[in-house]
Amino acid sequence: MDLDVHFASIVSGDAAAFGRWLAGSEGTVRDSLRSFAAVVDVEAVLQESMLRVWQVAPRFVPDGRPNGLLRFSIRIARNLAVSELRKVRTRPAEAEEIEAALSEDEPPVAAPDPMLRRAIIECREKLPAKPREAFDARLANAGGKDDEDLAQTIGMRLNTFLQNFTRARKLIADCLNKRGVVIDAELGA
Amino acid sequence: MTREEEDLLIEQVAGAWRPGTDDELRYHKAWHDLEPAGRTRAFERARALRPIEAALDPDGLSTTARAVLSRLRR
Repeated sequence: MDLDVHFASIVSGDAAAFGRWLAGSEGTVRDSLRSFAAVVDVEAVLQESMLRVWQVAPRFVPDGRPNGLLRFSIRIARNLAVSELRKVRTRPAEAEEIEAALSEDEPPVAAPDPMLRRAIIECREKLPAKPREAFDARLANAGGKDDEDLAQTIGMRLNTFLQNFTRARKLIADCLNKRGVVIDAELGA
Repeated sequence: MTREEEDLLIEQVAGAWRPGTDDELRYHKAWHDLEPAGRTRAFERARALRPIEAALDPDGLSTTARAVLSRLRR
C-alpha cells in the first residue's frame, strides 16, 4: 500500500487526508523507534514527529518511490529521538542497527483486516460496565486529558480507573485469544 | 516500588495523553518514575493497544493519531 496517494491532499492542508495517512503510517514509525524505548518517551517523540511531518510536508519532495513521506517521517522521528538521547547521554542501540533501520527502502504498510476489526468490536461489546467505562473514556478522549482527569470525569479514583482499564484490556485480549486471533502478548499482560 | 504500582505507571505511560505545549516535546510525568524495563513495557503496551483503538474508531484512527490531529498547525 503506497500512502503517498494522500500526499497532494496533505500538502494542500487537508487534515482528513493526513488522518488517513496517519492511520497507515503510525505503526511503522512507532516500530522504528523501538530501540529507543528504554531511554526516550516514544509516544511523545512519535506525536511531535507527526506534527512536524504535517508542518514540513509542503516542502517535501517525493523521490518517486512508494511511501516517500513515510520514509521521511521515520527519519524525522529517529532524528528527534537521537536529539533526545543526546540530552540524556545514553544509547539504546548500536549505530549499525540504527543505520540499517534508516536505510530501509520500503517500510511495511499493512491494510486493516475487516475480520479482525469485527472481532475487536464484538469483544469490546462484551466488557462489563466499569471496565468498559474506563476503556471508552480513554478512547473517546483520545489523548486530550490525562488519566487523573478522565477518572474524575467518570467518578472514579485514579487507581480505580487504571485498574478498570487494565481489566478491560485483559478481557479484550482473552476474548480475541478465544477467537483464535493472534495478539501481541503485552495486550493481555 | 511494588509490582502493582509499576503496572499502574506503565498503564498511564502507554496512553496517548501527553502534556500539551505548542513548541516543546513533553514527556508523561509517570515515564520518569519507570525503570528502563518498565519504559520498554509501556512502549510494547502502547504498540499493542493502538491497533485495538484504531479498530474501534469510525475513521480507523488510534488515540495517538487523534491526539496528533487535535494539535495540527501550519
